[in-house]
Amino acid sequence: MSQTTTNTSSHAMSLRDLVQKPWIWAYLAAAAAFGATMIISGGQGAGSLFYAALTFAAFSAIVGVGQMFVITLGPGNVDLSIPASMTLAATLALKFMDSNPSLIVPGLLVAIGVGIGCGLFNFALILLLRIPPIIATLSSSFLFQSLAIWSNRGIRVKPPEPLADFTTGGVFFLPNVALVAIFIAIVAWVVLERAIVGRWVLSIGQNLRAAQLSGVPVNLVRFGVYVTSAVLAGITGFLLANFSGGANLNMGTEYMLMSIAVVVIGGSSIAGGNSNVPGIWGAALFMFLIVSMLNSYGLGAGVRLILTGLIIVTVVAFASKKGYAA
Amino acid sequence: MSTISKLLCAAASTAMLAASPSLADTSDARIALSNNYAGNSWRQAMLETWDDVTGAAVEAGTVAAADAFTTSENQATEQAAQIQNMILQGYDAIVVNAASPTALNGAVKEACDAGIIVVSFDGIVTEPCAWRIAVDFKQMGRDQVEYLATRYPDGGNLLEIRGLAGVFVDDEISAGIHEAVEGSNFTIVGSVHGDWAQDVAQKAVAGILPSLPELTAVVTQGGDGFGAAQAIAATDRDMPTIVMGNRQDELAWWAEQKAANGYETTSLSVAPGMSTLAFWVAQQILDGAEVPKELSVPFLTIQQDGLDEALANTPEGSVANVSYSLDDAMAAIEAAR
Repeated sequence: MSQTTTNTSSHAMSLRDLVQKPWIWAYLAAAAAFGATMIISGGQGAGSLFYAALTFAAFSAIVGVGQMFVITLGPGNVDLSIPASMTLAATLALKFMDSNPSLIVPGLLVAIGVGIGCGLFNFALILLLRIPPIIATLSSSFLFQSLAIWSNRGIRVKPPEPLADFTTGGVFFLPNVALVAIFIAIVAWVVLERAIVGRWVLSIGQNLRAAQLSGVPVNLVRFGVYVTSAVLAGITGFLLANFSGGANLNMGTEYMLMSIAVVVIGGSSIAGGNSNVPGIWGAALFMFLIVSMLNSYGLGAGVRLILTGLIIVTVVAFASKKGYAA
Repeated sequence: MSTISKLLCAAASTAMLAASPSLADTSDARIALSNNYAGNSWRQAMLETWDDVTGAAVEAGTVAAADAFTTSENQATEQAAQIQNMILQGYDAIVVNAASPTALNGAVKEACDAGIIVVSFDGIVTEPCAWRIAVDFKQMGRDQVEYLATRYPDGGNLLEIRGLAGVFVDDEISAGIHEAVEGSNFTIVGSVHGDWAQDVAQKAVAGILPSLPELTAVVTQGGDGFGAAQAIAATDRDMPTIVMGNRQDELAWWAEQKAANGYETTSLSVAPGMSTLAFWVAQQILDGAEVPKELSVPFLTIQQDGLDEALANTPEGSVANVSYSLDDAMAAIEAAR
């Protein structure tokens, strides 16, 4: 042990590198919550808890990826219309499919189309009417939610059978929805870390003026980011509605704060310009496992909420420690 | 006639109208519905039933108008402002499903002082000048455990799914459940908040299941039974008896299980049509009837043998419902006397 601490061997270096990654804390916290739940259950049900965590974290992870790109754009950028976009996309897609298995692909396209529409509308408010993104997305969410209510009056249409089987099923130890979410996360990672577009997003978040002067097509990038966020919200809504047996008018509610929480807990900077994708998955797992853990310990709702808040603050403090030290 | 005496005359006649409502004919009366939330199938059914019943009443000339208003954010402050607007708009009665039992009391008192009849239902207000059409939510909790006790006299393990934390209805139903469990052989081995929504309940149940022993039954609050069933079906556990909450998807799942393996349970919830009972009560008060301040409405229970009929009468994706007539309102008033 002393050898590794005194010597700057490659193993110790990599460990230190790992600890310095802002996203590692979310995974450590998720693992701790998992372990604590297993203590109370006496080690029973580890497999099914892991499976459930992957399933439900998948939904948070997909909206989280969209929100991450938006937040990366810098202070004041946040998409508050995610819950309403989810609800509208899911409601319209399920109504369109009307439980008919032959309409699954067109149904998915409807959900994506609604996402594109929501994103375009948001961006039009932001660019053409020069409304700050928080206000623009908040007000458009009222519009989307009202459209969802108006279009189907809260009636739950059953998803087509094969689609319901797909979203609730899995391959080996991985739920299908988690596979979809992991795929989306990998694509997002490549875009953010390896593609020029990702560098543009980061540079806008770090300094808008400098990005503009160096020739980054700022408005085009912002346009792409807001549309991506809404499309990912639409896909999440589609998957969630098929998973839970129909679209609910309030199905998106918890994803408003969830989408922002997974970005911040995952170690991305809330001020923008510095983001990472792996942390989103860690944080999404953590957000599910923390509730499972506190439920398993049988704590009351009040204590549960206080502890959730305290633990989140602790994790975020650790994840952003590097920023203060530097 | 001088202007002053004209004014006096007008004032006197207004005063007479206000003082002796028993003379009133309600065909000029305008009633408003102040609703705090519309984002789930129960509330949508509530609004639709309101439209159906009051639309017919307006057509028949019983009242002049019955407009429904819903706040967008489910905030008590927003609803208080909405009620103040209704006072300014000169409605004769306000029927309210309140965001909070106490936070609207100021606005409700203002309405009463302006001579407006306020009838609260479902989400009731505590302000003494308003009428309350309440549901015995505690009894709803007790009934679930009592039903389960007849099924499982030896008791067993219960999972409790609660509603939205911090809401009065959630505390009441849960208190009823715990009260009844006290005197029974059941033990509550786990408790989660499902927010009365299938997807939230599904997530919460999936998270707590691995740490739970074998379950005999699941007690619920409505809107969460199907989600619980989905979460349990995803594991290799035996399906416990899940008490349902009258939602169509819950009833459909129950019917499916009943056909497949003779699954037995019960289902109980409040009928969203109780908004129309509140409407008729308001109309009766405007008409001059003596109505006690505290009224109660029974909840709607669906038993094993009534399942098929209830399912057939419930629109797909909605909630089992009853719409109330004037006679129902009179009977409820009579029962409260």
